[in-house]
Amino acid sequence: MSLEKFIEDFEEAVEDVEPGSLTATTKYLDLEAWDSLAVLTVIAMVDVEYDVRLKAETLKASDTLEALYAQISG
Amino acid sequence: MTVSANLKNRQILVVGATGGLGSAIARQLKEEGASVVVSGRNTEKLAAMAEELGGDSVAIDLADAEGRVQLVDAIGALDGVVYAAGVAPVAPVRYLKDADLEACLNLNTAVPLLLVRDLLKKKKLNAGASIVWLSSVASRRGTAGYAAYAASKAALEASGRCLALELASKGMRVNCIAPGMIETDMTEAAAKRISDEALAEHLKAYPLGVGQSSDVAAATSFLLSEASRWVTGITLPVDGGFSIN
Repeated sequence: MSLEKFIEDFEEAVEDVEPGSLTATTKYLDLEAWDSLAVLTVIAMVDVEYDVRLKAETLKASDTLEALYAQISG
Repeated sequence: MTVSANLKNRQILVVGATGGLGSAIARQLKEEGASVVVSGRNTEKLAAMAEELGGDSVAIDLADAEGRVQLVDAIGALDGVVYAAGVAPVAPVRYLKDADLEACLNLNTAVPLLLVRDLLKKKKLNAGASIVWLSSVASRRGTAGYAAYAASKAALEASGRCLALELASKGMRVNCIAPGMIETDMTEAAAKRISDEALAEHLKAYPLGVGQSSDVAAATSFLLSEASRWVTGITLPVDGGFSIN
């Protein structure tokens, strides 16, 4: 489990995001591809890959991928 | 609203009676004169509900075959059965877990059918009994993230139609209710995986606005009563117009 791996997983989960295009400081809420399906998908991905039950409000409250990863790994 | 005694002296089992819909249904049936037996997994909530309704309760896990045997053995002959238990895993198929899919198809589709089988085998359904299964508007409409749930409800409705034919000669009826989003669902959904924005967008599709659990309870009561004696094998949408929109 690492931030780099999490970013890869995030890129794979969210449709229309180029692999390698996101970084730790990416503000994912601002991504063009960020919509209600992306919310569902990232929550489901985190459940499957990290065994963590994220809430929609947690996703909304975090800012960068690094901050989101801290919530998941913390 | 005036409550009539449509269900006076009817023995009715409500499965999943501790959930938002199940508890509203159990209360409505009691108000209409039924003797209600409540069943579910949450022992404490169930005991409180049984005390409130002045009826019996059977706390069991229905997903387990032994649990079903215990339930069927514990109850007397019934005039009605309401199945309001269920789970709704929300995940795009790419991230759907085997266990979630299996649990959903089991609890939402297989168990209600197996419960009726067990009740029939033990002759616990009186002639003229009415069976009501809670389905969902999801059974007929695609929603991303709901493949498992939608499949389980569509299959439930399909099996209900077959069962309705099998039981018609005994005067027994089988019907489903397909509720749209009601207030208790919203609270639950918001706490889980649905963003406030997605919820707000979804609610725009309800011409009559958001529903209450009492709306579903009233429809359930109708399908359990003699007023619907010529109605079987249907799925009744109770959805504020969602399905015609």
